[in-house]
Amino acid sequence: MEGIGPLLDWLEHTALAVSIAESDWAFAVIETVHVIALALLIGTICVVDLRLLGLASVKQAYRALSREVLPWTWAAFGFSLITGSLMFITQATEYFANTAFRIKLFLLALAGLNVLIFETVAARDAARWDGDVPVPWRGKLAAALSLTLWIAIVFFGRRIGFTMNPG
Amino acid sequence: MLALAQWLSATPLSLALRELDWLVPLLQTVHILAIAMVVSSVFLIDVRLLDFTRSQSITETARRFMPWIWTGLAILAVSGAALITVEPMRALPNPAFQIKMALLFVAIAATWLFQISLRGDAVFWQSAGSRRSMATVLAVSAFLLWCAIVGAGRLIAYLQVS
Repeated sequence: MEGIGPLLDWLEHTALAVSIAESDWAFAVIETVHVIALALLIGTICVVDLRLLGLASVKQAYRALSREVLPWTWAAFGFSLITGSLMFITQATEYFANTAFRIKLFLLALAGLNVLIFETVAARDAARWDGDVPVPWRGKLAAALSLTLWIAIVFFGRRIGFTMNPG
Repeated sequence: MLALAQWLSATPLSLALRELDWLVPLLQTVHILAIAMVVSSVFLIDVRLLDFTRSQSITETARRFMPWIWTGLAILAVSGAALITVEPMRALPNPAFQIKMALLFVAIAATWLFQISLRGDAVFWQSAGSRRSMATVLAVSAFLLWCAIVGAGRLIAYLQVS
């Protein structure tokens, strides 16, 4: 982790980072797109998670539903990642040192791990429980973890705003 | 607005709530989660209106997601009112907040009109060709309107009246 200082410093001084930081409106616009993207990300994940928990969309089979919704989830994730990165580079050193930011990244990694485990373990025999309401316990656990993690991610994401020094 | 905000700020309730430094982040988190509920529901209904998916009829899709829009709006109203009570000066005299409320009024009216359009005739939006193009225009405008509301909401932080 020692060598990361110079990299963060370099990122902050790129033309892109500087132009965003110095603009009156760029950061606000990027932040707004970030909020809309994460709203779509969390909302669409909720649709799938609630189906797994048997609480919503019960008329649709799981695989058909996820095939319909998840492409939008991935698109929203892409926009969240891009806008998040654009914001990050403007104050790379400080964001990196921010506790709330670190916790948020850690939780994002856990959310990703949850998806990976679900896809490789629980969803392998999805054809069997596709129409079940709710699905077997492994799917319910993944869904409950997913919802909890994303709520926490939003909370710590907001905390970043409260614990960063003005740039 | 300024006088009202100043008066509210001085009330014992507002002063007491401002002492709790975890309250605003918590209320904002709830507010953001409710935004996710509303924006995603609007988006998924729009996706159906624009024919990007055909697994269910427009009425079925609307019936599925409209309750989430109304529930989300209720949570936004409560968390929003709470946020205003804690920090009246941050919101009430703020032009970004006022624009947000005006846009929100339009959005809620449009949502309600859409709901009514389905009640009378379940295949209203699927019938004639002109209704299809109207559906496209309304779907895109609705989503852009909600994006503008989110933008105005974000702008509140940048246009603080001191």
